[in-house]
Formats: sequence, structure tokens, C-alpha cells
Amino acid sequence: MSSKKSNKTSLSQTDTIVTNALLVLALIASSFIIMIAVFITAQGILPLISNNRGLGSVNLWHFLTDTVWLRGDYFVSTVYGAGFLIVNTLYIALLTVLLSFPVGVLTALFIARIAPRPIAAAMRTIIELLASVPSIVFGLVGVGLFLPLIYNLARSLGFNSAGGYSVLGTVFVLALMSIPTITAVAEVSIRQVDESLAQAALALGATPTQTNFKIVLLAAKSGIFSGAILAVGRSLGEATAVALVSGTARSGPSFGLFQTTATITSTLLQGLKETVGIDYDIRFTLGILLMIVILLTNAALNFVKRKVGNQDA
Amino acid sequence: MRKTRLSDRLLQISTILSTLVSIIGLGLIFQFVFARGLSLLSIDLFTSNYYGHNYIAELKPYEETTYTMPDFDDEDVYVIERYGLALRQGTDLAGNGVVEVEYVHPDSPFNTMFSAEVGVDTVDMDANNIIDRISYVDHPTSLSRRGAQVMASELNDPERVINQVFFADLGGGIRGSLITTLWLIFMTLLMALPMGVLTAVYFNEFAPVNILTKTMRTFIETLTGVPSIIYGLLGISVFVPLTVTLTPAVNTNLIAGSMTLAVIILPIIIRTTEESLRVVPQDHRAASLALGANKTQTTFKVVLPQATQGILTSTFLAIGRIIGESAALIFVLGAIVRDRVSIFEQSTSLAVHIWSMMTDEPANIALSSTIALLILAVVLILNVSIKLSVYLFEKRGKQ
Repeated sequence: MSSKKSNKTSLSQTDTIVTNALLVLALIASSFIIMIAVFITAQGILPLISNNRGLGSVNLWHFLTDTVWLRGDYFVSTVYGAGFLIVNTLYIALLTVLLSFPVGVLTALFIARIAPRPIAAAMRTIIELLASVPSIVFGLVGVGLFLPLIYNLARSLGFNSAGGYSVLGTVFVLALMSIPTITAVAEVSIRQVDESLAQAALALGATPTQTNFKIVLLAAKSGIFSGAILAVGRSLGEATAVALVSGTARSGPSFGLFQTTATITSTLLQGLKETVGIDYDIRFTLGILLMIVILLTNAALNFVKRKVGNQDA
Repeated sequence: MRKTRLSDRLLQISTILSTLVSIIGLGLIFQFVFARGLSLLSIDLFTSNYYGHNYIAELKPYEETTYTMPDFDDEDVYVIERYGLALRQGTDLAGNGVVEVEYVHPDSPFNTMFSAEVGVDTVDMDANNIIDRISYVDHPTSLSRRGAQVMASELNDPERVINQVFFADLGGGIRGSLITTLWLIFMTLLMALPMGVLTAVYFNEFAPVNILTKTMRTFIETLTGVPSIIYGLLGISVFVPLTVTLTPAVNTNLIAGSMTLAVIILPIIIRTTEESLRVVPQDHRAASLALGANKTQTTFKVVLPQATQGILTSTFLAIGRIIGESAALIFVLGAIVRDRVSIFEQSTSLAVHIWSMMTDEPANIALSSTIALLILAVVLILNVSIKLSVYLFEKRGKQ
């Protein structure tokens, strides 16, 4: 009897030990985001506050507003400017979502409400698969397929394009990458719309198309918007595919569709040749900038989502 | 009424058009990768080096015989029965004429030769090697620029005794990147899988409902939205210095790459595992506890085994992410293709191999597409495996 009791206490001790051990693991797992924030901020803020081994510090205001990436020589000058990168990044994300959002949502509508069941199931699988295609593959297809097309298109329209490396190419690649994300999320939220809503609309004499567009899409608005926010986040943070097709411009901003361009991520990825010095440290400053741009954009879009959602709810 | 119908029609058409645009646009990706990549796909690709190599070799002592050769129905192929060798007049990637080895008989003296280089004993000549020149004792050398036909007829001349063979393999293989990718998958899963599964167990089975738990969950969820390039920065600022201090590594390396990937896939593993833990019926826990098992035993012997399918799914998802990751690895692993892979050194995964070739001048789109084809095939297989495992487990559950 007594042995059994002692056994039981030792078992509950095991529970305590295991719980604490698991807590430590969970704490480590959740500390990585802090690690990212702390280490990148610490290293990224250095060029702004230190004198960069005698070169002088980077002027923050100049960094945020200038239209040329670097005035002067690498590892000598500290006159960095990323203002045009911010504008380019947001401009490209905007064009991307303008292109991919309607296509993605309408595709979702087709899959969820119009397509016969076997076709819908097949398309759902295809979209799921495409959402998991790595970005480097999109970049490769962009270079091999879109750039020559854009180059020829620009030539036939009388524009100059640097081998097709352009805003348009970047937007095409990013839009293609975003469509599966937008479609997948929108499709789920369209299917979740209460069928009685659609039935009621049909009973009142609305055509199926009117029902789909005026009732179902509106009811699924919030979910559809979430998908768009996800897609915008992905476009803002995408690096390799963009770096391959953007043309990595050194100044800007580039608004013309056939102009070469550069985003925060593509600049971050380029020319990481040395592992010390100002031109290396400044990448971390760009990293901070990228995180801030993404956070602010997300916050703004979520704000819009809440506003739009409230009005009709 | 008429106006409504027209707008209906327009909306219908736009829906169908959009669907077509999605399907065609996305179909183009597969079409492109297949069309450009399929021609280079072969077993040699997986087993050979990326960088070409020149060899100098001498024949081992051999008996003169006449080899029975397969029939080559090709006017560019020249057979040398005396050595069991067939040569082809071909062209290299730059369009220059070269003498390619078409076939080496298994018993041919060319199959295993003494190497004339320091530190290497024997070399093999394989199909697809390029013969540069063959020198003879007391006879002028056969040069590749005079073509395969001349070289074959000179080799067939019984007067000539071979002194040395100068040949090369062209490279262009992906063996190094393949090994790196396998290493990355292995080491990343080794780190992330136990940690992710145990963290999920903690959240679902042990964690109290309080602010700390909620904060930890939020922090882990936030990781999902971080772009991979930011993980790359984390890697070079934390994991690379860490591995340089603790291991023989001096620069970006495979271990640091795996650590970075482990952080990237951690939220995926935690989320997927937790989802499958959540559907384990509460009755099972209660029954186990009622039988006298403690919480730890219940969790690890009753609950966790039922989450096997979720853990498997998360593993497949993680492998897909590891294979496709490029931006973070360019920072943490480097972008220099290596034939000899060491976990303490730089190398490239398959995805980064594409990046290296695409940023080269000129870009090698053909080989890049072949690698992309390989990546797509693996991603496809992983997706199908996930569906299959879900299906099989559901079927077993019903029985």
C-alpha cells in the first residue's frame, strides 16, 4: 500500500518535471521572433548611429527619402538612400494585387459555385499544389518566359526595355504567385457562406449570377480580404523571384511598366559580397525597413478590412 | 430586364475568363519547366559533378582481342572493335565540334585505366566523356579537332600503341547540390521535429490558460508571416557566428543553414501537430487517467501516437518548404555550387543551385529548368503523400 502511494507521488513529480521541460522548449520556440527583432534591429541600427569605422554615420532622413541607392563608392560612401525602394515595393505590391485579386477571386467563385463537382475537386487540388510551388521556380519561369515576351512587347510598342527586366515582369511573376493564395482562401470562405442566403436570393427572383456576385461574394467579403492581405504580405517579402526579374535598378522610383526596378528585398539580396563593412551592415537596416513596411501595410489593410466589414455587417 | 441579362452575361464571361487566365498562367509554369528541363534529365545528372574535370590516363596491360560491339545505327558514331570503344562526333554547349565517348565495353581496357595524375590511382572512362587527344608511342598524336572519324581510324590501326589518353567530363551534374539538400532535410528535421512536436504537446496538453501561453502562441504564429529573407538575416547574425565559434566552420555553412530552416519550419510543425492532437477524443485521455496512468504517460503513450498522421503531414510540409527555400539559404549557406559537400562549408541546395545559375552570365536556363522539374516533382509527390496518408489514416480509423 505504502509502496503504491510513493509510486504515485513520484509519478506526479514526473508530470511536473515534464511540464517544466516542455515549457522551456515552448519558450525557446516562441523566443525566435524576439531573436529576429532584437538581432536585426541591433545590427541594422549600427550604420545609423555608429561612425562606420570613420566613414561617418548614415543619415536616417536621407536613407528614408533619397532616390539613389548609393551616392559615391561602395565601402567608402555612406550616402545610402532607400526612399525609392519603399515606393517601388508598395507600387509593385499594389499593381500585383490589382492584377491577381480579381482573377483569383473569380477563379474561386468558379470553383466554389459554378464548376461541376469533379472539375471543382480537381481544380482545388491543382490550386493547392500551385500554392506550394517554390518562388525560385516562379522566378525561373519569369526569366525564361516572361522577360523575352515583355522585351518584344516593349519593342513593338516603341519602348525601350532592358532585356525585359521590368516593373511589368515583376508584377506578372508576383501576380502568378499570389493567385493560388488568393483563390485558396477565397474559395474556402465562399463555400462557408450559408446556402440559405443564396437560396433566399434565388427565391426572390435573382439570377444565379446576381446571387453569386451580389450575395455570396459580399457575404464572403471578410475571408476574401484576408486572402488578399496574405498575398500582399507574400509579395512584399518575396525576394529571389523578384531579384531575378526586376533588373535591380540602383535608382528610382520606377513607375513606367517597362522600366527596370528594385524592391527592398531585391536590393537586400544583391551584392552581399563582403561580410564586414558598411555595405554589409546596411542590409540589416534594409531588413528593419522591410519589416516596418510589412507591419504597417498589414495594419493598414486590417484596418480597412474592419471598416469595410463593419459597414455591411 | 434585358439590361440585367447583359450584365449577367458579362459577369459570367469575366468569371470564366479569370478562371482560364489562372489555369493558363499557372499551366504555363509547368509547360515551361517540362519543355526546357526534360531533355537534360538523366541518371548521369544526379551522379556527376557540376564542374568539369580533365583526366590523363594510361592503359593497363591488356590482351589484344576484338570486342563484339552493339549496333549503332547512327552515321556520327565510329566503332573501334580493337578497344571496345565507340566515339561520336558531337558538339559542346558552345557549338564546337568535340569527340564524345558513345559507349565503353565493360571489358574494354579504357574502362579502368591508370591515372597519370598525382594522388589518384585509376580513372574510368564513361559514356559522355569528351576525348581531347590520344598520344601514341612513335606515332603522331590523335587530336580531337580532326574529328571522331579520324581518331577512330587511328585507334583501329594495329601499328599504334597508346601512350596516354587525355579526356574530360563535362560536368553540369547536380550531385553536390542533391547531397546538400538531403543533408539540409535530415539536419533540419532532426532539430525542428522533436522541438516542434513537443512544443505542440505542451500547448495542447500541459499549458495552463494564461497570458504567458497566449503570448507564446502569438509569437509563434507571428513567425509564419516573416519573409524568408528576414530569416536569412537572422541566420547570418546569429547562427553563422554561433557555428563558426562552436565548429570548424569559418564561414556560412550547412549547419547554420539547417538551423535557420529549423526556425522557418517550426511554426508549420507546431500548428499541424497541434491540429491533430486537438482531434484526439477527450475520452481517451480520461480513460487512460482513470486506469491510473499519469498525465505524462497518458500524453506520450495514448495521445501522441494518435497524432502520428499529423506529425507525418507536418514532416512532408516541412520537407517541401526546405526543398523550395532559396532566399534565406543564399545568405546562410552561400550561393557557390560545390561538388564536395561538407557540413562545415558553403554549398548550395537545389533551389539555390538554380539561383546561382540564373545570376550567372549567361544564365543556364536549361539546367535550371531540369532542377526546377525535379523540385516540382518532389513537391507533387509530397502533396500526394499527404493526401494519401490522410486518406489511409481515415480509412483505418473507420474500421
